Amino acid sequence: MKIDPRTKIIIVFLISSAAVMITELSSLLFLLLLTLILCRLFSVALSGPIKKLRKLLYFLVVLALIQSIFTPGGEVLVTAGGMRILTTAGLETGISIIIRMSVIVFSALIIASAPAMDVVYGLIAMKLPYEITFMVLLSIKFLPLFREEFADSLTAVQLAGADLVKIPLKQKLSLYSYVLTPSVIKALNRARFISLSMESRGFRAYPDRTSYCKLSMRGMDYVAIIAASAAVLLVVSYNFNIIG
Amino acid sequence: MSFYTINSLTFSYAKTDKLFQNISFDIDVNQHIGLVGPNGCGKTSLVKLMLGILRPRGGEIYLEGSNIKDISLSDVGKKVGYVFQNPDKQLFCPTVLEQMRFSFTYGSSEPGEDIDDKINYYLKTFDLIQYKNFSPVKLSRGEKQRLALASVLSRNVKFLILDEPSTGLDILRKKELENCLMTLKQEGKGYMIISHEAKFLDKYVDQLLRLRPEGVEYV
Repeated sequence: MKIDPRTKIIIVFLISSAAVMITELSSLLFLLLLTLILCRLFSVALSGPIKKLRKLLYFLVVLALIQSIFTPGGEVLVTAGGMRILTTAGLETGISIIIRMSVIVFSALIIASAPAMDVVYGLIAMKLPYEITFMVLLSIKFLPLFREEFADSLTAVQLAGADLVKIPLKQKLSLYSYVLTPSVIKALNRARFISLSMESRGFRAYPDRTSYCKLSMRGMDYVAIIAASAAVLLVVSYNFNIIG
Repeated sequence: MSFYTINSLTFSYAKTDKLFQNISFDIDVNQHIGLVGPNGCGKTSLVKLMLGILRPRGGEIYLEGSNIKDISLSDVGKKVGYVFQNPDKQLFCPTVLEQMRFSFTYGSSEPGEDIDDKINYYLKTFDLIQYKNFSPVKLSRGEKQRLALASVLSRNVKFLILDEPSTGLDILRKKELENCLMTLKQEGKGYMIISHEAKFLDKYVDQLLRLRPEGVEYV
């Protein structure tokens, strides 16, 4: 069944707001579970993003350790030279950050599962200016393009015989400038072409835009919003000891 | 031992049908092959698999007896020169001259006294000498294609893979490309060309390798 993009936007807004508000580890875990259930209901493929998130694990572990060092309290678990490296409170804060980021990433996937233009139409229907929604969409779409350009340059550099593993650090740094510079130039060129293309199609030529796409909220959308709101409210209430 | 040995190769992009399945063929180091097939049949994907840029869904590719998955891209690049279908993806240096020198500076493309002579020769051959201090970004599509070709041809690789090398070249530059291919043949170097130009292929390749979803065949 086709869900209105506004439904997805509202649900993601609720979840990500709750992720910022919630402080307790157990509540965050409930919120993560709720997000994963919603992803499943909206048929979001999770295997790819989970693999990508695994690559961020080292970064998140470092973040957890830093939090642990600067978060006083709790029992000391690991020390080095009299310095606290890991405490129970720090560990809890670190894990909370990891879960909070996972909630935000997975909830964003719910919006990403909708066609890009549907999201734009949804935001316009929510009274956001068309220009701003379109720009947000373009900038989001730009990131994978930039990554693709970077990967292509990296491949070209290696196929030209440069071994990124074996060469000395100084040469490696200059090599990365070879990779980064064309990626930025190509991204800027692409932006120029997109703006030309937009202008040639009359972008902002008239104050109002018409559209073939007409969004309408159906019963299922209201049910989804009310159910998700109730579930999020329940988790937030649990976090602030209003219930249970 | 063949230069390339392709065994039961199967490939598809994520969430799509198989592009090709169980294809097998050998390529000798001094062979001159044209890879042909309709648009979207996977010619460029096959070449990217042969270079180790893409990973196969099944089967193996051996380059001089070593499985391609065990060889780094830079080591593949030292043996096989590749001219990308889109030259924009191949040019990354701030100037034309640096692009030409890159493999000699960062790779181990036989550094020697004659590097500058060699680079100048190819810059002159492809009519790029006047642009040597220009940024490749500022060049036209045809000039970029010529630079990509010149930078690969100047390197001492054993085998070349050229993905639609004549695209964007005018008659004069196509003639120069043909001369270079002739020189490569005389030097005993092999190459594989992807092209839709039957006349061009007839002249400069010995065999055509036709790619179809159900397999490949030499014709």
